[in-house]
Amino acid sequence: MKGPSPRYSALALLRARFAGGGFWRPLWTGRRLQGAYDVVVVGAGGHGLATAFHLARDHGLKVAVLEKRLVGYGNVGRNTTIVRSNYLLPENHYFYEDSLRRWETLSKDLNYNVMYSPRGVADLLLSDGDMIDAARRGNAMRLAGIDCELMDRAALDRFCPELVASRDRRFPIVGALVQRRGGSVRHDAVAWGYARAATALGVDIIEDCDVTGVRTAAGIATGVETSRGYVQANRIVFATAGHTGVIGTMLDMTLPIETHLLQAMVTEPIKPLLNTVLVYVHPAHGETYVLQSDKGGLVMGGHLDGFPSYTRDGQWTRMEDVVQGAIALLPQVAGVKIVRQWAGTNDMTMDGSPIIDRLRYDNVFVNAGWCYGGFKTIPASGAACAQLVASGTAPDLIKAYKLSRFETGHLLDERGGGPFPVRL
Amino acid sequence: MIRLICPFCGPRELREFEFHKTRAEPGSTPYAQVYERVNRLDDSVEHWQHVQGCRAWMLVRRNPSTGLVLETRILGGDHP
Repeated sequence: MKGPSPRYSALALLRARFAGGGFWRPLWTGRRLQGAYDVVVVGAGGHGLATAFHLARDHGLKVAVLEKRLVGYGNVGRNTTIVRSNYLLPENHYFYEDSLRRWETLSKDLNYNVMYSPRGVADLLLSDGDMIDAARRGNAMRLAGIDCELMDRAALDRFCPELVASRDRRFPIVGALVQRRGGSVRHDAVAWGYARAATALGVDIIEDCDVTGVRTAAGIATGVETSRGYVQANRIVFATAGHTGVIGTMLDMTLPIETHLLQAMVTEPIKPLLNTVLVYVHPAHGETYVLQSDKGGLVMGGHLDGFPSYTRDGQWTRMEDVVQGAIALLPQVAGVKIVRQWAGTNDMTMDGSPIIDRLRYDNVFVNAGWCYGGFKTIPASGAACAQLVASGTAPDLIKAYKLSRFETGHLLDERGGGPFPVRL
Repeated sequence: MIRLICPFCGPRELREFEFHKTRAEPGSTPYAQVYERVNRLDDSVEHWQHVQGCRAWMLVRRNPSTGLVLETRILGGDHP
């Protein structure tokens, strides 16, 4: 019995009970690469799959997704699963808020449970200066209609009682900026859900297909050269997080992007301990964010490794920083063992904000530059990028994410750090 | 990659050093020097500083796909 994955429902469960084996199908089938498409999307990660899904569903286009390795092999399977929209700049917080609203309904939209868990994201604050800065960001968010709360220490202790153990420390936490609708989403389910939904709409997802070049004629792109032969395409989208700089080099462009490694790690499963996402930036420890997965492991990440790399291994010193930060926050977990550690390659743009724009040719697009925050924007980026590719005009939400902003000076430097991604 | 060889101090742990940026192509515009970065899979020429040592600026040539350091030399004089 062949065919696409059946629609999930209570009725399907009942039918499967009586249909015997073979009722459930693989989520996306191994489709054959055809010779020509309306749109070729390069990269079957979150952004590539979401873009392909929206191109097929909202615009009715014939789409292929070409992936060098496996669906979800890159950052969609390597991130720390945090979603939030607590940004300062209007260009960013409206876009990220659009994404957070889409997360709330994504399981229904994809007919796949992505396990959105609005458990809150707490940016921990360590000084009066931090409180003032957070109040400014919180006010900007609330003016835009985005939920957030500035908590003092007493309110934070009620919100996250586990932090009590870190109370009597040299650098005590004085408060937090909390976004309750932020939280966590099961990252692999996002890749699988989009891949399944896109396949059901006729998108061809081709794994193990390496794009090696773009063929052009009369100033526009006509298709891509791949390890499986030439594919003709009216439009091409690169969603190759972490390797967009290399794509630029392939197109003879030098982009305002550096590729850095970001590590994450997870401990052995423990009983439910942490009911929220903690984000902790401290000069002594660097950066640590920590949450507890549904399996019980504490998922942790920190700052970039510090220099361009494609190795996906990660430096010991950074791992040490992350663990030190976690133990400073939650001394009660000091004896818990880390069972896995990994790293992903991140496109770091020179202002920390993404790029969704044309790339050199009128019919070549790039969905990139997600820095260390790409996962949370997958639903919004897919919808907006698909609209740009299909109509040729960028929707308002991503108008600011032009590549030319670096030349014109319209930077979106949320961090205020200048063109040096490594500096905190 | 776990250590770099400082031209003055010899081999030191990586945490003593700070990466600054990739070297701009010779003759590039001021915009390119500030914002653009050279991204090649097998070759990266970078400015680093031995911030927690002698504070010398260095030119480091690495292979970012393997982590192998190919060359480290002092930055300055006739070196761009």
